[in-house]
Amino acid sequence: MTKVLGRKELESWLGKVMQERALVAPRRVDDLTLFRPVKSMDEIAFDYQNTNISPKEFFFPKTDTLFTAEHKDGDIELVPGVVEQETVIFGVRPCDARGIAMLDSPYLDDPADAIWAQHRARTTIIGLACTQPGPQCFCSSMGSGPDDPAGVDVMLTQVGDDYAVEAVTEKGELILQSAELREADVSPSVPPCDANVPAEGIADAVRKAFDNEYWSRLADRCIHCNVCAYVCPTCYCFDIRDRTDQGKIERLRTWESCQSKGFTRIAGGHDPRAQKGPRLRQRFCHKLLYFPQQFGPVACVGCGRCVVSCPVNIDIREIISDIQKLGAEGG
Amino acid sequence: MAADFTRQIREKAKELLEGGTVECVIGYETGTDGVSARPAFVYDAADVDRLVFDNTCTHNLVKYLLNRKGKSTAVVVKGCDSRALNLLLSEKQIQRDQVYAIGVVCPGVVEWGWNRRSDRTQDRCGWCRQHTPVVSDFLVGEPVTEEPPAGYSDIAEMSAKTSEERAAFWKEQAERCIRCYACRQACPGCYCIDCFVELLEPEWVGIRIAPEENWMWNTVRAFHLGGRCIACNECERVCPVNLPLSLLNRRLEQEVVDLFDYRAGMSEDAPAPLITFKKDESLGIGE
Repeated sequence: MTKVLGRKELESWLGKVMQERALVAPRRVDDLTLFRPVKSMDEIAFDYQNTNISPKEFFFPKTDTLFTAEHKDGDIELVPGVVEQETVIFGVRPCDARGIAMLDSPYLDDPADAIWAQHRARTTIIGLACTQPGPQCFCSSMGSGPDDPAGVDVMLTQVGDDYAVEAVTEKGELILQSAELREADVSPSVPPCDANVPAEGIADAVRKAFDNEYWSRLADRCIHCNVCAYVCPTCYCFDIRDRTDQGKIERLRTWESCQSKGFTRIAGGHDPRAQKGPRLRQRFCHKLLYFPQQFGPVACVGCGRCVVSCPVNIDIREIISDIQKLGAEGG
Repeated sequence: MAADFTRQIREKAKELLEGGTVECVIGYETGTDGVSARPAFVYDAADVDRLVFDNTCTHNLVKYLLNRKGKSTAVVVKGCDSRALNLLLSEKQIQRDQVYAIGVVCPGVVEWGWNRRSDRTQDRCGWCRQHTPVVSDFLVGEPVTEEPPAGYSDIAEMSAKTSEERAAFWKEQAERCIRCYACRQACPGCYCIDCFVELLEPEWVGIRIAPEENWMWNTVRAFHLGGRCIACNECERVCPVNLPLSLLNRRLEQEVVDLFDYRAGMSEDAPAPLITFKKDESLGIGE
């Protein structure tokens, strides 16, 4: 027997969740679907393949205050950024949830990032299995799958008109307390994501192909915007700058990307990655070689957002295939 | 049409590469969705069969010439793109003798998107009055007679709104901007070595990815392109959150046409109004 929720019960549960915590869900914004705070059921888009931008911004916001500094009684007081809001994100796809879990490695390894840790502690992820992988999807090639519960707190899988419910973590069990679950004799299953991207052993191939002219030729086409990094669930680089406003000082952290000109420019003006080729290569070396070297998994979950959003069709699936061929030829 | 255009572009590219006229031909090839075009760089005459031309060839390839300064390059240009050539020539960013323009009389391009398979012609092609390139060394297709410029109904609609309504509209748009700078990176007119948005001394725009700063960014960028935008609409196409940037660009274009009867990129040597000083000129402003 499987625990299930009908659509009506799902909505009434989310309604209760919303009363106690902030609820974030896929929402139509013009012709986009984005994770946004929602205040009522009719704001939620239940019918979507995936959102245009990943839900990472609810853990790694586009802009965050690390601390503020204020004059107080003739002294300067540093006040660290605090995340107080308890949040529930509904409708996170397994690829994205895995991306968030993956970033625990860089952000929670000693010394842990206080802001990330607080967002993680105060946020519950309700996953929704994919019933129809898109043409850009390749999660199965990257070690996951359309109903992979790794990274979510609650997993929902649509079965006919109902949703099969699985509490994956304690946080998940807690949030499910207010749900009117019933038992049903169904076994949830979803069609596979059958894209075949040859990611096995990619780190080694990238190492071999490091000096290949391939990267410069690929970079001919790249316009070095930050679209791929900003839609990506596993890109986590940032910039930090202080902002002063009428005596108040804020240390801000914002999204940034290795594709930006000046990302690696250092004092004195030298930029070790000033050329287009090395700059573009960095993105793929980080995902396919450095991240696995340091933390284990390849830092791509196969969501395919960069494939869809790149203005000039820099396609990571094609690059992985090309690099495997170059690697096999010895680089 | 598409097959014939493709054949002519391949033949010309082969001739230019074999004869050593250029080191590289920048054109279009089919992308990984098997449907839409993407930019292609061909260095070897043996590779010219990669090149294609069809109604998905939306990208303005002239931008790439800025990465190839001092290197002889052929580039495929549609009518709108060719105006960018003139813009960069007049602003002394590229040298005419290093560029070989393969002009294509453009029948209009369709809405672009990875795997999108659209049949809908882009709005900008409806406004376009430059199907035949204004500059080319070799022309693919028969030149067409251009209709006189028409007004923009969406701009008129926007202008009819109150300033509060417009502010509310743009505030909502600015909220969506993620400051990825794809608009700038795709724009042939955006080539500042240090863009104002990234300057630290002075810091014109704060680092926050937030409505106020986002709006400052988009507004100042639009003004920097006043009298310079050549209407390829790449900024709007590449925007991952679909900001209607061309509303700003076309509003400013109208302003410049009304004041100076000038459209950017129509010729290589027409003096650009915003960088031309005339002692006796009066705009009737502030008098």
